[in-house]
Amino acid sequence: MSRLVKKSPSLCVDLPLDNTDVCNKLRLLRQLMTSCYGPTGKLKLVHNNIGGHVVTTSTSSVLLAAISSSQPLVNLIKTSVLNHVSRFSDCGLFAACLCLDLIEQAKQSGLRGNVCIGLNRHFLAVCVSYLQREDCCCKVKLDFCSSHNLIALARSVISSKPACLLTEQETLHISKLAVQAFLLTLPCDKPGTVSLGQTVTICVEGHSVLNSAVFPGLLVDVTGVLCVNKSDNLSSHRMLLFSASLAGDIPELGEGIIEVSSGVDTDARILDQLLDLGKQAVEDDVKLFVCQKVIHPVLQHYLRSRGVIVIERLGITLMEPLILLTGAHPVATLHTSLQPKAYGKVRDLSIRQFGSKTLLHLLAHGESAICTMVLCHRNETMLSELKLVCQKTEHVLRLTLREPYALFGGGCTETHLAAYVRHKCTDRVTESAAVLGCSESEYLLGMDRFCSSLESVAKSLEHNGGNSLIDLTHAHNWTVHADVMNRCVEGSLGFCGCGLVEGGSSKKWTYLNTKYAEFSPAALTTDSPVQPRVLDSFTAKLNALQVAVETANLALDVRYIIKDVLDLARF
Amino acid sequence: MLRSTEINPRQPVGLQELAALAAVAHSSLGPDKRYKFIQDDTSGESALVCSCFRIFENLELSSAVAQLVHETVQAQQKVYNTGSGCLLFLAGAWSRAALECVHRGISVSRIISGMSDGFDICVDVLRKCSISTDGLGAVKPDSCTTTSHGLGLQVSKEPITEDSRASLHLRGTTSVGHKTLNPSGHRKIKLSRHFCQPDSKNVSTAPQPHQVFNIAHIAEGLSHGCVRAMNLVVEAVKLHQDVSCSTFDVTKVVTCVVPGLPEERACVLPGCIVLLSDEQASVAHHLKDQPLKVALINGDLSHTFRHLGFSRPAGVQHVIEQLALGSDEEEVWMVKVVALLLNLEVNLILVSGLASEKVIQHCCRRRVLVVDKVKASILKAFADATAGVPVTYATQLTKHCVGTGVKVEIRRDLGGGSERKSSTAVNISTGGNSGLFTVILTSCVRGKLQALEDQFWACAYRLHHALKDRAVLPGAGATEMLCVHHLRQRAVTAYSTQESTAGGAADLDRGVVLHLMADGLIDYISTVMVNTGRVSKVRARTVVSQQLQEHDGHVDIAAKLSQLVLEGENEDSDLKSNGMDVYDNVSVKQEAWRKALDLLFLVLQTDAEVITGVDQATGAQENLMML
Repeated sequence: MSRLVKKSPSLCVDLPLDNTDVCNKLRLLRQLMTSCYGPTGKLKLVHNNIGGHVVTTSTSSVLLAAISSSQPLVNLIKTSVLNHVSRFSDCGLFAACLCLDLIEQAKQSGLRGNVCIGLNRHFLAVCVSYLQREDCCCKVKLDFCSSHNLIALARSVISSKPACLLTEQETLHISKLAVQAFLLTLPCDKPGTVSLGQTVTICVEGHSVLNSAVFPGLLVDVTGVLCVNKSDNLSSHRMLLFSASLAGDIPELGEGIIEVSSGVDTDARILDQLLDLGKQAVEDDVKLFVCQKVIHPVLQHYLRSRGVIVIERLGITLMEPLILLTGAHPVATLHTSLQPKAYGKVRDLSIRQFGSKTLLHLLAHGESAICTMVLCHRNETMLSELKLVCQKTEHVLRLTLREPYALFGGGCTETHLAAYVRHKCTDRVTESAAVLGCSESEYLLGMDRFCSSLESVAKSLEHNGGNSLIDLTHAHNWTVHADVMNRCVEGSLGFCGCGLVEGGSSKKWTYLNTKYAEFSPAALTTDSPVQPRVLDSFTAKLNALQVAVETANLALDVRYIIKDVLDLARF
Repeated sequence: MLRSTEINPRQPVGLQELAALAAVAHSSLGPDKRYKFIQDDTSGESALVCSCFRIFENLELSSAVAQLVHETVQAQQKVYNTGSGCLLFLAGAWSRAALECVHRGISVSRIISGMSDGFDICVDVLRKCSISTDGLGAVKPDSCTTTSHGLGLQVSKEPITEDSRASLHLRGTTSVGHKTLNPSGHRKIKLSRHFCQPDSKNVSTAPQPHQVFNIAHIAEGLSHGCVRAMNLVVEAVKLHQDVSCSTFDVTKVVTCVVPGLPEERACVLPGCIVLLSDEQASVAHHLKDQPLKVALINGDLSHTFRHLGFSRPAGVQHVIEQLALGSDEEEVWMVKVVALLLNLEVNLILVSGLASEKVIQHCCRRRVLVVDKVKASILKAFADATAGVPVTYATQLTKHCVGTGVKVEIRRDLGGGSERKSSTAVNISTGGNSGLFTVILTSCVRGKLQALEDQFWACAYRLHHALKDRAVLPGAGATEMLCVHHLRQRAVTAYSTQESTAGGAADLDRGVVLHLMADGLIDYISTVMVNTGRVSKVRARTVVSQQLQEHDGHVDIAAKLSQLVLEGENEDSDLKSNGMDVYDNVSVKQEAWRKALDLLFLVLQTDAEVITGVDQATGAQENLMML
């Protein structure tokens, strides 16, 4: 018996940002994000309430993916940050922190919603056009002739994730490997459209990070099934790749039904067919027989007894790199005879041992841009974070091919931008305010809020109770430890956040988020031999800046939240 | 909302939780292990556990920190099979140190860098004070007459050793008599007759007494109170002797637990010993003392078994065209397999998976012995020794897959007949060249068998790792004492540089961290001393600090301490000279310490827990913040 349940009226929340519950949740999210930010950020233990595996992380992509909220505004921000991260990998936390801070600042400022949105958009445009200018003082052009800046960029990404628990030496080692892997995926001297290769990551638990390594070619896990006869050292081996299952079962039928006569042994028939395939492969002198899925043990036995190296359960992720490496055409059916063009080629097969893992090393016959990164770490939690970070680094390095720039890291870009915006916009308050349709005081207030949001993000890099400062020459970000007394601050400043500017008596500092007279942040002399130690991805950060402001503007623009509610009392 | 998230801010809470969890490890440190009962209130079931990782295995862990601890302990256990107690204790002790640092206002990044420095200092100490196993026996030719295992070298002195051992033993027990309140003094009885037995037997047979001495000496030092288990390991190594005792291959060891026999009956035998039912035993009886042909099956032995990854699609219908009588599929398969086996003259099938009851019976009737649940490494050892090839399906067998030269022998002395189902022990061996051996573990108390097995494996792996590292550490707290000394020294240096104003507050903090880290190690040493049952916690601490003050970090600190820990407060000078050497593993210790610190660092840097899948009502009850 069905019963008609009367739909309860929808719930409408007017001006959600004035609602304390919504505000509390946004503040909580902001705390969550800012506390993760930077190399000394705090970790979060993510787990299910029932128990089970615990993930220790401070990475936005993992953290935000785990979070689900009943609050649409929270989900809106979450989704846009996750979108950014999926496209650019880096600067997810930056986007989230900036966005949430902009929302909070806008609320505190008391500016009218649409004025605030207009102003944010205006200052964003100022920032973006400045960052894209050739003479922008907070970016460096990457020089591909030297690996120095690339390693600095990789190192900044890797060291920003404390859950990897890397020492200085280990961080440097992994950064070098990341750059090496990146360089190996760039094809050399190929005419026509250049397509980048791939890095395959293999994780080995229980070993020192310093044992991690990068190899050209592909490494496949063959632990336990190893039987390679080292005897034949041919320069190239013929290989065969199956994407179809060779398990000997009847493939997925969908909705259909197969009728089988009682006397017919389907399994044996299929096995015969498999063995025919095997026979042909052996006749065609195949040395390496790989299947994405399961291979029937009888077929494996047959092939091995004839000196063929058999690898089963390769997995979907390794299929594409293997195809690129060998030039094989994966066979998707076992019902036709093997075509000669399906065969691929590998040069040189060797065995490498990493802890408990035995890996078969395949090298490309010709030119190929496939490489394998073997990552070792002492435990699973740290290893999974390290893997994530390395993939992120690879992506960040690739982005430099499109735009060969990097921004000063360590909060220096943020403070510099804030100082630039303050200086640039104070000059032309009257005309800008007129164009935007707001009063001058509103314009100045909006500018102050926007800049202090940027500065708060720089400030939230510090988690140990230290103080953040800005110098009044180059507008870089500086940190002093909490126990440094007020009077000896100037003496204890070594280098700025990005490591480019050195402290000295000639400079003046002020605490971040205190009022300072606007000034034009000076460029550093170009002949300075000092290289920045911390660099951020230009492309990722620029996009993150845009995402943060746009998302904040959207959130500020929301007038109503309408929800369908289930009336729980009725059940 | 069904799925939601809350955040639980918990800065020092995590450290406190870690310290509390680590308290579990207190009693499992040191040579005297104590049993614990873990009871499930709802089901009334209980488990008897004796080691750290078994405790965690039997606990229901819902908190995130507990889960992290469990994963760490498991990782240590998986690779090293020992050292999880040490890992957990130090994780606790050092998390108390970190907590203290937090209370003193030292920043997290300074704690981490300080402790990392401390760990580097410790690793350096471990490296410097490790003793090469090569010639470990030869270094001390004098002391070998007084240590219990100094028998191999000088047979003539053996009675003296036995005597001194006996008198020592007596003195040990009388002193226990004085202290009736002490609950675990009786443990010393372990070092009795049984301890010396295998060696005295060996004196006459061993061709290379020096090497035997060497291994036995190291093994004794690594026994850590599990003397009986370690004796079994030593016996096993001796059976393994042709491998020149530079390595100890643990993959070729099988354990076979026989309930119902007294513990003294534990022994090591060459070959692979399994317990079989009466029906199978009768087949074995027929097959004994003749060379057998063996088939090795990698998987289950039944007609329904398919290899991993084989899926049966749902949409297949079998159409029966004519009524075939009695065409039972299983029957058909069985007939086919049995015919094949008889054709290949196979008498023995070793199966890594399960064999169905029906198959076993069928084969028994044809006098083919089926043994299932054989470990994969053992199957491989048989494959290597018999030139057989493991196959997945019995139907796959061909002539060249069948191995030869296996023998079956019935061990009447080991049959465990006390249970409802009687069983016969059968030894399957391959003419002596396989290197396989079985350790028979026995106990009248069924609940103890698991612990005995764990102890045996712990000992086996300790010896395995010692031989693999080719080095051991001075045990019984000596290494830790040296670490404490060096940590304190470095702490003092840090303080002094702070005073000379070069470093400032950072050096002061570093000194504090190193000092507290050293305190954690002192806590470890004194807990081990307390657990050996001869001293109180206060006394242990005083003794340790006295020793630290007296000796300015020289090697004799190690010698003094090993006696100190062993002998407790027994002032008898005779006894001190009789003190045996205690060793620890280098890699195991280093890895356990590193894992403890890694765990601590993760928890220390964590400031919030994100719990998914909580509904709003319970979230509100537990004061969680909902997002």
